[in-house]
Amino acid sequence: MKKVVFKSSVVVAISMALYSCKRDECHECHYDKAGTEVEMGEFCGEALKNFETQGTYTDSTGTYEVHCHGH
Amino acid sequence: MLLGLILLSFGVLGQKKLTGIVKNKETNLVIDAAQIQIIETGDRTYSNLKGEFFFEGNFPENIQLKVGAAGYQTAILNYSFSNSNFIEIALTEKHVDLEEITVSTGANVMQNKSPFHVETKKLTDLNSIATMNLGEAIAKIPGVYQTSLGNGIAKPVIRGLQGMRVVTLLNGLRIEGQQWGGDHGMGLSEIGIGSVEVIKGPASLLYGADALGGVVYFSDEPYAATNTRSLDLQSLYQTNTQGGSVRFLYKESNKKLRWFIGGSYTNHADFQLPSGRFAKNSRFDESVLKSALSFNGKNSVHHLRYSFSLTVTGIPGHTHDSLAVFSDFQVTEQKRKYELPAQFFQNHFLSSDNKWFFKSSDLQLFLGATSNRLIEYDEKVTIPSLSMRLNNGLYALKWNKKWSNSSKLTIGIQGMAQNNANARNASDILIPNANTFDNGVFANWIYEWNRWILQAGLRYDLRILKSFETFEINNPITKNYSAPNAAVGLVYNSEKLTFRTNISSGFRAPHLTELLANGFHHGALRFEIGDVNLKPERATQLDLTAEYKNEHLALVLNPYVNYISNYIYLQPVDSLVDGIPVFHFEQLDNILFYGSDFGIHYHPHFAHNLHFESSFSWINTFTQSDSSVSLLPPSRLNTSIRYSFNFGKKFELKDLIVQHTYMAAQNRVTFNELPSQAYNLVNVSLNATINLKQTIGLSIGCKNVFNEQFIDHLSRLKNIEMPGMGRNFYISLNFLINQNLKSNKL
Repeated sequence: MKKVVFKSSVVVAISMALYSCKRDECHECHYDKAGTEVEMGEFCGEALKNFETQGTYTDSTGTYEVHCHGH
Repeated sequence: MLLGLILLSFGVLGQKKLTGIVKNKETNLVIDAAQIQIIETGDRTYSNLKGEFFFEGNFPENIQLKVGAAGYQTAILNYSFSNSNFIEIALTEKHVDLEEITVSTGANVMQNKSPFHVETKKLTDLNSIATMNLGEAIAKIPGVYQTSLGNGIAKPVIRGLQGMRVVTLLNGLRIEGQQWGGDHGMGLSEIGIGSVEVIKGPASLLYGADALGGVVYFSDEPYAATNTRSLDLQSLYQTNTQGGSVRFLYKESNKKLRWFIGGSYTNHADFQLPSGRFAKNSRFDESVLKSALSFNGKNSVHHLRYSFSLTVTGIPGHTHDSLAVFSDFQVTEQKRKYELPAQFFQNHFLSSDNKWFFKSSDLQLFLGATSNRLIEYDEKVTIPSLSMRLNNGLYALKWNKKWSNSSKLTIGIQGMAQNNANARNASDILIPNANTFDNGVFANWIYEWNRWILQAGLRYDLRILKSFETFEINNPITKNYSAPNAAVGLVYNSEKLTFRTNISSGFRAPHLTELLANGFHHGALRFEIGDVNLKPERATQLDLTAEYKNEHLALVLNPYVNYISNYIYLQPVDSLVDGIPVFHFEQLDNILFYGSDFGIHYHPHFAHNLHFESSFSWINTFTQSDSSVSLLPPSRLNTSIRYSFNFGKKFELKDLIVQHTYMAAQNRVTFNELPSQAYNLVNVSLNATINLKQTIGLSIGCKNVFNEQFIDHLSRLKNIEMPGMGRNFYISLNFLINQNLKSNKL
């Protein structure tokens, strides 16, 4: 029984460790202006999240929806 | 209390011993390597070179033994420890067992005595030609189809019904995973699964509400034989998706404890179309961990099971580009990396199955819990569009009482408590937070008289649904639904002929999404609007089965009619929200599903190495409105020819399998659904073993040999004219190590 518990624990621990390795994702972001994609560079982690939460980019010509993934 | 009962069962040890010998009925010669299984507990062993076998441990007083050996007819016999501790078993020689006798795990009845037609298949048989997922594997069963969204999402369709109308169980645990959505996967992996049973049509009596279309019951592989351990390593590579899977399954059984643990990882890139292009974002990967533990008490058996899976799948055929055309979804580059839109699907399944055996009765207590996390990323990579957790707790208490061998009564209670919760960070909420409580009470009686078996059952179910204020949604509701159900069946069994007739009813309360949906369902590309006044669906099915079998031929004819009232469906309306079409949940007064399955298994006497199997499925509906049933499966003819070689020693060529599927055209479609053309698919597989110190199984094959361009009618990608997979070569290796434990007595 001890062996069973030990072997199971090892496998479960390894699996949990693998799943807990979370990547700090980075993505290229852009907005569409007059039919063309305007690149805004790469954003990662919290900066990416904040950027997406805001959701728009405003310049002197108007406000545009920001995308950080391909269509 | 449960723990106390289990400990009590385990503590009061009164070990029993059973020795026996397996012989040929005609020649009286001993049979070695026969498998002997105690059905009640799952203990297994094999006969030695002298035909002898031995069991020692805690077993019920009265047991059923299932005995099988290559070249012999499988036998099921009763044994009582109160008589003696020795048994002689005689098996009848049969060069092929066309339809092996099995015990239906779900219905707890021998299959040839079941009043309803239960299709039982070993997963190894369904996978004789490699499949991409469980949905594809079970779609080889007559009357069963799969609806899919690429390769990562596939779910069963039984006699034209799917989603909430099909109940899926894993070792008795009802799998709840937001299955109302056509784009939500089944959440089950093939690892450790031994067999699947399909009950077609309403099965509310045994499985509760919702099972209007039928039940898919998956059972785990048996544990290792007593006093042995095994390690099974498998790998599969498929050229089409440049992907495959690796698996391990370790099993160990001694006379006190049986257990196994396994894991698998599957990864596929976008699949290739017959044209050579690729289905954009059809990639997926899946990780699974699975474990089980079982032991016998003095007169009891206990199973504890846990499994976990995480699937990340792309959602193909999805765009917000208003100028998109269908060809945009068919790209020249095959990708594997995670890309939006995508779905994360995480499942935990935990169950405890306990059975106590008494002199002429047994008591079964089943407790289970499932937790499903569904997250869809659609527009943003850090903010999910949909994020829900569905927790489910289940119980069932059943008492089986036998009077002699002719009469058996089962009474029980069964229920579940479910909680659906939305995450605050999701941008959309399709359905609100809610609790659902199901409770049912049932009784089922089976009476056997000579060649006749009569079955009659009654059930009453109550569902309470309570939704809550959820962020900006503030119209909570409370609904009660209840319904009685009944089933009655009659079986006539002779040596070669079996006739079954069964009338059963079922009910399905409207699901939360059908009542309260009001938002974007991105995966389905719909804006869905529910109706809080929907009534429960009711179904009544008449199912007839005629079976004939002799040593070389088995025939099955299974016609049915399934009458459903208050049928709920999605009706498109002439409206768009943010460019996405709007659908209303509506209800049809009545609809009739009817059709038939036909099967033949022929093994000619003059060619002992040849097997021919074919099945034909036909489904149709009769309704006042033609736009109510979408995704109606077309007629299908499946044919399989297997030639066994069994020659060679170190390299043993096993068999060659050729499968052909003819899928008829389907022109019965709803308002905005495309019809589909007929098509033919041919698959081949060559199987061999390399017999070294351990055995290595080798399988190579090709699917869609002629690279046929086809669009499956039940594919969710049909409306963007996305064809199915093109030619796909595969190779699979299976390495199995079996060892006796030191304490082996034989």
